[in-house]
Amino acid sequence: MSIRLSLRTALLVGAVTLAANLQAQNAAPLQLHSDVKVDKIVMADGQTKHVLSDPEVVVPGDRLLFRTQYRNTGGQEVTDFVVTNPLPNGVALDPAAKAPAQVSIDGGVSWGGLESLKVVDTATGSQRPAQVGDVTHVRWVLRSVKPGETGEVSFNAIVR
Amino acid sequence: MKHSTRWLVAVSAIAMSALGTQSAHAAGTSAGTTITNTVTVDYKVGTISQTAKTASNSFKVDRKVNVLVETQDSATVQVTPGQAQVATKFKVTNLSNTTLDFALTAAQLSGTTAKHGGTDNFDVTISGIYVDTNNSGVFDSGDQAVTYLDELAADGNKIVFIVANVPLNLNTGDVAGVTLKATGFEGGGTGSQGSALSETTNADPMAVETVFGDAAGVSDGARDAAHSDGDDYTVLAAALSVAKTSRVVSDPVNGTTSPKAIPGAVIEYCIAVSNGSGSATANTVTVTDPVPANMTYDSTFGIKINGSVASGVCSGGSAGGGYASNTVSGSLSNLTAGDTKTLYFRAVID
Repeated sequence: MSIRLSLRTALLVGAVTLAANLQAQNAAPLQLHSDVKVDKIVMADGQTKHVLSDPEVVVPGDRLLFRTQYRNTGGQEVTDFVVTNPLPNGVALDPAAKAPAQVSIDGGVSWGGLESLKVVDTATGSQRPAQVGDVTHVRWVLRSVKPGETGEVSFNAIVR
Repeated sequence: MKHSTRWLVAVSAIAMSALGTQSAHAAGTSAGTTITNTVTVDYKVGTISQTAKTASNSFKVDRKVNVLVETQDSATVQVTPGQAQVATKFKVTNLSNTTLDFALTAAQLSGTTAKHGGTDNFDVTISGIYVDTNNSGVFDSGDQAVTYLDELAADGNKIVFIVANVPLNLNTGDVAGVTLKATGFEGGGTGSQGSALSETTNADPMAVETVFGDAAGVSDGARDAAHSDGDDYTVLAAALSVAKTSRVVSDPVNGTTSPKAIPGAVIEYCIAVSNGSGSATANTVTVTDPVPANMTYDSTFGIKINGSVASGVCSGGSAGGGYASNTVSGSLSNLTAGDTKTLYFRAVID
């Protein structure tokens, strides 16, 4: 009883603090919100700074930040939480940024760290290490998301 | 939450350290392309797999106007004074992610440093801008005069020539600098130059904006929908100089021993034509020399051409040239840089 009460309290606190920036919840115990920002690096006071803005003006070569926010709005722990994000056409992972821990270069069939994946060069038949440009999907695997827990996953990309 | 926050900071730090290493992009994704990102979340509650949740967002890729003009001449274009229809070669590349027209304008430098290092000190007469219609890579009769490049596709390029005439009376080393500027215009339709471009801003991610993304050229600024590059013509002229000397060969009294210029004496006139070192080869060099009054051309000796000269005395050479109307004339062989050739003849004092 005391456990259930504390869970509910946690959920209430979470809902109040997060209601402002998350959309209305539905029947599913999980709420998702995805957005994309243009990630501009500007110099200010001699330091570089990332400035995020809405994708009003996006041209090839621009750096993007794709974000997915999640929240467990249910009363139970969510497990084996897997966020899968196919890279949209016209977008490649930013070679200058760290790639997500798990990527796929074969349309989401097999997964691994970018440095562990190999691509067969169609011209020579030999294998070469996968490049960021080969990545087709990225994903994040979380063992559990507790009731009321919220979080965000994101990756940097550039417009091809 | 804590975990993901820390991870984001790590990403930012790495992205910052790689500032400035962004690779150059060619035209890239076409303007107007909708990029939709969809994420799918699979999860379990208890041990039971739940229906996957998805979320997505979209925006349209905007129109980036970018053009690159590059000279294709690795060194200055060498010209001779009076040379007509000489081309400097450029490549115009549409780095925009859409098809555009590009207006072409040629201009001349006035006294500044030209593309290949020389200082501009004269103007050529630009006769037109030509596009390499027949893709021969060189300016020839198959190329068309143009004022703009019509409907140049994204990543497409054209070879363009500035064609000019070189004035006379120039010296070796004289430089004429020229610039070619290409300015983006709307594609419009085939056969006509579209309207001018302007940058637009609209808060709607789904609207297609126009953004100028070009670099500064030699005669235009950054982000002005234009780019330019320079090239130059350098004169390589022949630098001819002429020296005329004479000597008394013989006289009727002393013969050939210390002859004096008395009536009946034979005088040899030696005309040496020299071309300066580092000059262009002079072709069709013609020498004419009127025989002085009170002297009679020595037709027995005749005229010797293409000989050499030492201390003002001509020697060698072969018979050639002609004598008419009291004037000696002859054509010398081509004079390369640093070369000297002579014409000499004799006359008798009346």
